[in-house]
Amino acid sequence: MSCQVKMPAPLWPFGQVSLLLRAEPVSMRQWVTRAQPERVLFCVAAVGVGAGLYGVAMGCWRDALQALYTGIKLPLVILLTTLGNGLLNGMLAPLLGLNLTFRQSLMAVLTTFTIATVMLGAFSPLAAFVVWNTAPLTGATRLPSVEYGFLQLTHVVFIASAGIMGNHCLVPLLRQWSGSASVAYKALVAWLAVNLLLGSQIAWVLRPFIWDPARPVEFIGPEYLRGSFYETVFDATRRLFFP
Amino acid sequence: MNDQSFTPPPVPIPPQLRPSGDAPLGADPAEHVPINGLIGAIECVLRQPRRVMFQLRQPNSGYLIAALLVIAVVCSLIYGVVVGMFSYGTQLWAAPVKIAAGLLLSALICLPSLYIFACLGGAQARLVEVAGLVTGQLALTTVLLIGFAPVAWVFSQSTESMAAMGGLHLAFGLIATYFGLRFLDTGFVHFNARSSSGLKVWMLVFLMVMLQMTTALRPIVGTADSFLQTEKKFFLSHWTECLKQRRETPPTAMPDRGGQSGSQMR
Repeated sequence: MSCQVKMPAPLWPFGQVSLLLRAEPVSMRQWVTRAQPERVLFCVAAVGVGAGLYGVAMGCWRDALQALYTGIKLPLVILLTTLGNGLLNGMLAPLLGLNLTFRQSLMAVLTTFTIATVMLGAFSPLAAFVVWNTAPLTGATRLPSVEYGFLQLTHVVFIASAGIMGNHCLVPLLRQWSGSASVAYKALVAWLAVNLLLGSQIAWVLRPFIWDPARPVEFIGPEYLRGSFYETVFDATRRLFFP
Repeated sequence: MNDQSFTPPPVPIPPQLRPSGDAPLGADPAEHVPINGLIGAIECVLRQPRRVMFQLRQPNSGYLIAALLVIAVVCSLIYGVVVGMFSYGTQLWAAPVKIAAGLLLSALICLPSLYIFACLGGAQARLVEVAGLVTGQLALTTVLLIGFAPVAWVFSQSTESMAAMGGLHLAFGLIATYFGLRFLDTGFVHFNARSSSGLKVWMLVFLMVMLQMTTALRPIVGTADSFLQTEKKFFLSHWTECLKQRRETPPTAMPDRGGQSGSQMR
């Protein structure tokens, strides 16, 4: 039978990373449906390691302490987004025609983030290499400096690619689960939208991830709890078009 | 490393959620099972709306209608607390009261016209059944708002802009209302109405009433000296004023959330 898939015993299932990355609907369905504590723990650990490694590579442009902070903050953004949107994602799934329970939808979203962060972890040597080859941070470096802009863009490309690929891995499962490609994409787009909405704000609160010229290295600066990501984007757009 | 392999029993694909409107209510035996408790009602509103619609048409639907109403009130109060956490102080109780009262008032004001539109469209529905569908709509809307509550809370703790928070709550409210109205629309399909154009008009009216209620009961997001403002305003002009004030206020001089900031929202 096609449903008979050999899976490693779920003791500490590092071997299941490859299963997740292959994203075969049968194995993904088992992973999501049987959300055992060790699998959840594995996902959290994978997010911590994958995103943590990438965070270290991201922050090391400034110094070791920034690398440590970013290595903690990047996994935090992902885990807080998953938890914060868990309830909403669980409600949106049945409303959009997907027969998932709250726990299954939470596990599905956590799984996509796990896949994305495993990819990020794999990208971290590349990111570190890019940082190493970028002009170092000096007293002359300013926010509009080319090297800072280049780093920002590089990280955006890496993180966005991992996120898109991670989410794309869920499509076959959702399609099989709902019996409709349209329902699968609707649910995925809804999840993506709400995760982007909350994730960007949490990232905004936990900034800086690379560097802030105005502040010493600190985990969360006092002024970072002010304002929101979208207000800043809105104001910047308004200034650009209506100076 | 991990040689121990086993073949887990295959996980069956769960039954697909039946698209609404493709079969008469009650065709599925699961829809005949009575809905018990508030949690059961929440679960059904989200996952088995047809079961709710079928049960609402049964003779003893009063309990279910009451349960849906309680859900709507409790959930709107909880979401109201999150809205009030932007300003704290008196808004912690004023915002929940205003949101719950506004929602119920909007539904109450619009219920007679919905019944009239339904009858004009040829729907075979009693007033109690129409009221039941409206409570189901409110319950679904407010349950969804609870889902949005953590997101709204994160934003309310980091931004100081009342216009931005107002816009965010409005967006969440509109999304939740969309799903609520979709529930209502599906329910009316089973009333065998000849035309649904009356219902579409009613939805527009209901939306306008709700939006106006946010202005009539202001301030909901900011603070003010009195519980309600006496000055009459149309919601569009109120929003325009709020946006103008935000644009004229430099970012460094953004008002506090409490105290005198309420005047910004009047």
